[in-house]
Amino acid sequence: MSALRLFLLPLLILVAVLSMTWLVWEHERYNTRKELQAQFDFALRDTVSRIEQRIGAYEQTLRGVQGLLVTSGLKNRKAIREYVETLQLDANFSGIQVIGVVERVQLAGRDAHIDDMRKAGFAKYNIHPEGERESYAAIVQREPGMIADKALLGLDVWANPERRVAMERARDSGMPAITTKVQLAIDREAGDSPGFVMYLPVFAQGEAHDSVAQRRANLVGWVYAAFRVSDFMASLYGKQVSGLSFSIYDGVDPKESALMYRSGASLARTTSEGAAAISAIEYMVVAGHAWALVLATQEEFEVRFGRNAELIIVISGIFLSLAMALLAWFMISGRARALSLAAEMTEELRHMAQHDPLTGLPNRALFSDRLQQQLAHAKRHDRRFAIIFLDLDNFKPINDNYGHAVGDRLLQQVAKRLQEALRASDTVGRIGGDEFVILTAELAGAELALALAEKVREAVRQPYMVETRELSVSCSIGVAIYPDHGTDEITLSKLADEAMYRAKEDGRDSVRLAT
Amino acid sequence: MIGRVFVIMLMLVASLGSATAAGPDCSRVFTLALHDHGLLYSAETDSGIDKDIADELIRRSGCKVTTSLMARARIWQLIESGALDFSLSGITNAEREKFAGFAWYFSNKYYLLVRKDSGVHSHQDFEQNAKLQLGVIRGFRYSATANRLVDQLLQANRVRQAAGLAPLYEALMLNHIQAMIIEPFDYPTLDEKKVRDISSIMEFNDPPVLHGLIMSKKSLPTAEQEKWQALVSEMRRDGTVRRIFEKYFKPDLAAAMTDF
Repeated sequence: MSALRLFLLPLLILVAVLSMTWLVWEHERYNTRKELQAQFDFALRDTVSRIEQRIGAYEQTLRGVQGLLVTSGLKNRKAIREYVETLQLDANFSGIQVIGVVERVQLAGRDAHIDDMRKAGFAKYNIHPEGERESYAAIVQREPGMIADKALLGLDVWANPERRVAMERARDSGMPAITTKVQLAIDREAGDSPGFVMYLPVFAQGEAHDSVAQRRANLVGWVYAAFRVSDFMASLYGKQVSGLSFSIYDGVDPKESALMYRSGASLARTTSEGAAAISAIEYMVVAGHAWALVLATQEEFEVRFGRNAELIIVISGIFLSLAMALLAWFMISGRARALSLAAEMTEELRHMAQHDPLTGLPNRALFSDRLQQQLAHAKRHDRRFAIIFLDLDNFKPINDNYGHAVGDRLLQQVAKRLQEALRASDTVGRIGGDEFVILTAELAGAELALALAEKVREAVRQPYMVETRELSVSCSIGVAIYPDHGTDEITLSKLADEAMYRAKEDGRDSVRLAT
Repeated sequence: MIGRVFVIMLMLVASLGSATAAGPDCSRVFTLALHDHGLLYSAETDSGIDKDIADELIRRSGCKVTTSLMARARIWQLIESGALDFSLSGITNAEREKFAGFAWYFSNKYYLLVRKDSGVHSHQDFEQNAKLQLGVIRGFRYSATANRLVDQLLQANRVRQAAGLAPLYEALMLNHIQAMIIEPFDYPTLDEKKVRDISSIMEFNDPPVLHGLIMSKKSLPTAEQEKWQALVSEMRRDGTVRRIFEKYFKPDLAAAMTDF
């Protein structure tokens, strides 16, 4: 019961503080997660808007060329070249590889178109791939124009399905349209470097283009810009939040074959880490075409924006709960230990108050107590007992000759002999320097008391060994019997004392019965 | 005779004058943005309900208005900044009330379009299955219950945002998302049957939500907003709005949407 009480409270405190730690930890975890999610959402929105803004800027650039073509026509090569030069497509616009003009050519007008181009100085110009088709969309100008690119003039992009879809969309909507992921014509030998092409329709000047039908009828060509995705991404304004990886996929399905771009260290995380990672897909619409942007956090992000207080909370919480439980245990057990110490000390004091410090025998006070008890008992049950006074003979010379230390040791040995000579139910006490008193248990008669006194006297007079010295001492004994000699403590003590003095007077070393 | 013609001419001029005084102030060129969204507007065909409403509104106002196409999130952003004057089919909430005025011309309910194979029978089912992803258009708000669903799923990172409807339908067909929130005009014009085959529709138990012309409070003084509101009210009163909706919906649905 007391052991339970000793451990119950500390255990309760341990459980309570641990539970509190757990609550705080849960709360912190939830907040951290919320904070991370908010940071992540912001980064996602930011990434999307940076791409959209950049696309918007390129659209605007291309609208400039579109405006020029509408006003000056597709054939004004010099004006177009100078216009593109003034756009200063430097590092700031490094996403654009080339700006070009595509002319719509119907089968009927094909030969005239080829003639015109040859007259304009491109002697070897031809539409390729060759063959008769209902209509063509031939590249007629590319800026900046490199000698090596001349072969690309006359390329019929209408024959290329990816480009044709985008061109049709641009034509029908009157708005910018981009292709799916393609390999740019200039990248034919540059390996796998994904790109896309943005088209804007050019309608005949002064002709209406308010409906799909009007737009189809009045289309004269397209202006386009070709982009390499990696350069496009490099030209984004602003800084990508570090610790995030992102990938861009063509279309909504983020499959490997549709991958257009992957940011620096965006290697897949291992699954164990992946559990903690946040990732999201956003479906962007870029010039009428869907891209899937996949954004995922990496460890660096969580370290940067996570508050990392969880571990601190767990460790300090566990430490605190253990410390508090331990403290409670100390306080409770400390009280118990103090109580037991107090009890011990009380017992010791009590013992000291009732016993002779030299021999450990009951002193006069305790002896008197016992005597009173014995008297009450004997009166009630009509019993008989004896009180025996004992005084050592010639003890003083021993003290004087050998010193008090020897005398004390002798007294101790005498006390021991007295205890040995008596029955367990008898009480022996020391009431003065060399005076002892014995209270016997029930006795049948005076003879027995005298016999016991004789036994004691004989035991006392046996030699003692005190520090290699053999000493001898005798004693004089007086005996009083209850109720024969008296029925109270004072009378009995007085009579026993007188009997003892008689023994002394009669030559010591003897026993006398009270009279 | 000449006197009578003069009087008639005088009356005509007077009536014209009063009409001009009641109409919006056309002293500058306005901007209006459309967003590609189902039957509201299709960039592919450059047509739709919003386009028809815009054309009629512009015609009646007599003002010059430049129309462009933008993502919905961008539209709200520009309306708030005052860089854009108008957009269409907007719904309000406490936040938008701060920067936008509205002129209502139709109302409709919101629905959860769920893949049949997702085992979902209510929006609560959807919310409880942590594996399911919801597709939404960035910047869109819906009716109260739908908003609550979206906000809760956003917290759980179970929402995929898109710039338009088309990619959401594609993602739904690919089972990359399992549901999206739609309005009656949101069915794709092209793959309608394919979408209907794999999905079912659940209604949110919310009242219909008003949709209207969005006006930027920053760029249009209250008095001007009221003039544009009057134009929209007139279009409703004379049945123009109803007729435009009947071009795209069965008459009973068109009536349900335009009578509120």
